Amino acid sequence: MKKLLIMCGTGIATSTVVKGKVEQWLKDNNLSQEVKIYQSKVSDEIGRIDEYDVVLSTTLVPNNIKDKVIDGVPLLTGIGVDAMYEKVRAEIKRE
Amino acid sequence: MRIEEELAIIELEADSKEQVLQLLGSRLIDQGYVKEGFIESILKREVAYPTGLPTEPFGVAIPHTDGDMVHRSTVAFASLKKPVQFLMMGTDDKLVDVQLIFMLALKSPDDQLEMLQKLMGLIQDPEMVSKLVRIESVGALNELVAGKV
Repeated sequence: MKKLLIMCGTGIATSTVVKGKVEQWLKDNNLSQEVKIYQSKVSDEIGRIDEYDVVLSTTLVPNNIKDKVIDGVPLLTGIGVDAMYEKVRAEIKRE
Repeated sequence: MRIEEELAIIELEADSKEQVLQLLGSRLIDQGYVKEGFIESILKREVAYPTGLPTEPFGVAIPHTDGDMVHRSTVAFASLKKPVQFLMMGTDDKLVDVQLIFMLALKSPDDQLEMLQKLMGLIQDPEMVSKLVRIESVGALNELVAGKV
């Protein structure tokens, strides 16, 4: 089971929207059984980001964890969604 | 879900995002939806976690802050005559010209989930964004978003 973290500044607003969309996408792509979703705020997760296999964020993250994090803003604007999901899929499928 | 008359400012003339945030925040405080420190909290949040979204044909901002600043969940709305600049969500250096603001007063993650998702659906539709910028009354606003927000 891969651990997928969705985070935003407050852990209640945009991460909720992103979570809803990602859940639906996982279902549509038959990946629900492979992934467990976690929702949180950035400030709570910075120190333990390596515990997750995939990380989506709608807010800026510190440089030292930047490479690990996929930008989730496309799910809010509707622009660049396919490219974003390809990154998520690659991380889920990574051995 | 309707946006309340007292929580909507149509065709606002504002010079800065701070001015818009203060005006909308005051409405929420006056109507008892949020705590006194809400505006300060929103302004701080906007610096650390910007909420400008580069939607088409105009940017939309969805300022919000921690749930403990909120008494009752709701949404306040402003449309602007001229855009003001917000930082783009997920960046600390890109600016977006914003003409629509939905200020979210949210108490908990599951609160208003449906409303939030519908709202995000609305602003992904360029035609809807154009219409929202041009609306002339709260009644028209609610007619436009009826069934959608």
